[in-house]
Amino acid sequence: MKRIYILLFLFLFLILEGVAIKFLPPSILLGDQMFVPHWILIVLILVEMFFDRGQSYNAILYAFIFGLLIDIVYTGILGVYMFSYGIVIYIVHVSKRFLHGNFFVTFLFSIFGLVLCDLLITFIYSLVGVIHLSWEHYWLNRLLPTVFLNIIFFLLMYFLLVKRFIKWGSELNWD
Amino acid sequence: MPFFRNKRLLIFLIGFIVLVALIGYSLRDRENVTIAEQFINDTVGWVQNIVHVPVTFFTGIFTNIDDIKNTYSENQILREQLGQYKGLIYEVQELKEENKELRDALELTESDLLRDFRAIQATVISRSPERWLDEVTINRGKQHGVKENMVVRTAEGMVGKIQTVQQYTSKVQLLTGFDQFNRISAMISRDKGKDIFGMIEGFDNETGTLMFRIIEESDKDLKKGELVASSGMGGVFPAGIVIGKVKDVVPDQYGLTRTALVEPAANLYDINHVMVLDRDATELEAEEEEEE
Repeated sequence: MKRIYILLFLFLFLILEGVAIKFLPPSILLGDQMFVPHWILIVLILVEMFFDRGQSYNAILYAFIFGLLIDIVYTGILGVYMFSYGIVIYIVHVSKRFLHGNFFVTFLFSIFGLVLCDLLITFIYSLVGVIHLSWEHYWLNRLLPTVFLNIIFFLLMYFLLVKRFIKWGSELNWD
Repeated sequence: MPFFRNKRLLIFLIGFIVLVALIGYSLRDRENVTIAEQFINDTVGWVQNIVHVPVTFFTGIFTNIDDIKNTYSENQILREQLGQYKGLIYEVQELKEENKELRDALELTESDLLRDFRAIQATVISRSPERWLDEVTINRGKQHGVKENMVVRTAEGMVGKIQTVQQYTSKVQLLTGFDQFNRISAMISRDKGKDIFGMIEGFDNETGTLMFRIIEESDKDLKKGELVASSGMGGVFPAGIVIGKVKDVVPDQYGLTRTALVEPAANLYDINHVMVLDRDATELEAEEEEEE
């Protein structure tokens, strides 16, 4: 039952990513900066850190499913988001064994995950020739604003969702 | 076999192969998206259709406040313009009639056809968060008569073309995502047949403009602010749809041809209602008429 709640949460953010651009004032959008919402990745990292216990692989599975959904619904090039989200969540899954799951660790994981994920996506797109870019342009105009805005979203979600995830996670373990 | 005992490595390799296969599959020139993709797109589109209404309302509040501030001064200007407008209406009517008579006299039908189209009204329900590939989703699909490669415009001008079509939704490739595979034949209208023809060859991210390569060497004195419109020569897009204004003219890298930087006329970041222009419909009707 709790898993369905989490799936619904993720689906809600999948829908909201499509209208995310409307939440920003148009004066920012007309500039060079690109803001890409990676809200699903943030929620997935929270699920991985606070809902999954020990050897359960829920978050990795969700990462593949929702990555593929983003590919189908928003880009049309299958596999890119699926692969990037999957890898990032897997790395978080492996490294959370060595670090205690508190706020700062999650915060660091989020920054690391966002940077790695965006780099992977851009790398794959430029590798297959969908986009042509200069990397200097990329650092300043896409990576920094994207990470910055998503971290704000992370702070918001952390205080809204984490307690719920911990509760659901422990209830699930009692079953 | 010691290699396959490493389960993680195996899974990673299989994942990598799946990734390459999927990307290769989706980059192929696909005529139609698969049924599974269509189903997912339509399902998500249905939810987006519901969600985007309150979101647009909510985010619209701030824009509305700004608008109200400007209302008075805008009203003054508009009133002045309204006076001139009445004269214009009369003039346009006269010109239309005259144009029609002249066309009849010359038995010109083809150029008329290029300008005729049926418009399908649509609402933008979502915009791809991936900004590299600028795509928006609209709430009209195959069932409403939308087909691939149709041109999409707002009241201000062209915004893009239909990329893929599902049953109830379709995806629009915006001008900002155009590359050398999505050329538009365009022109700058001049009197006495001195029109300047060329191709829109893609979008330059650094300047934020479209690149309009001029084919003919005849008329070179482009001015800033001149209107670039589609010429209808490409066979896909109807003629006379405003694309944008000339912002600057630069020589290309070999210095042989010149490229005009064209600023899109439509605001590509704030699109709510669009029209999909169906050119086939009018051509078919015309053929039927001819048969009769």
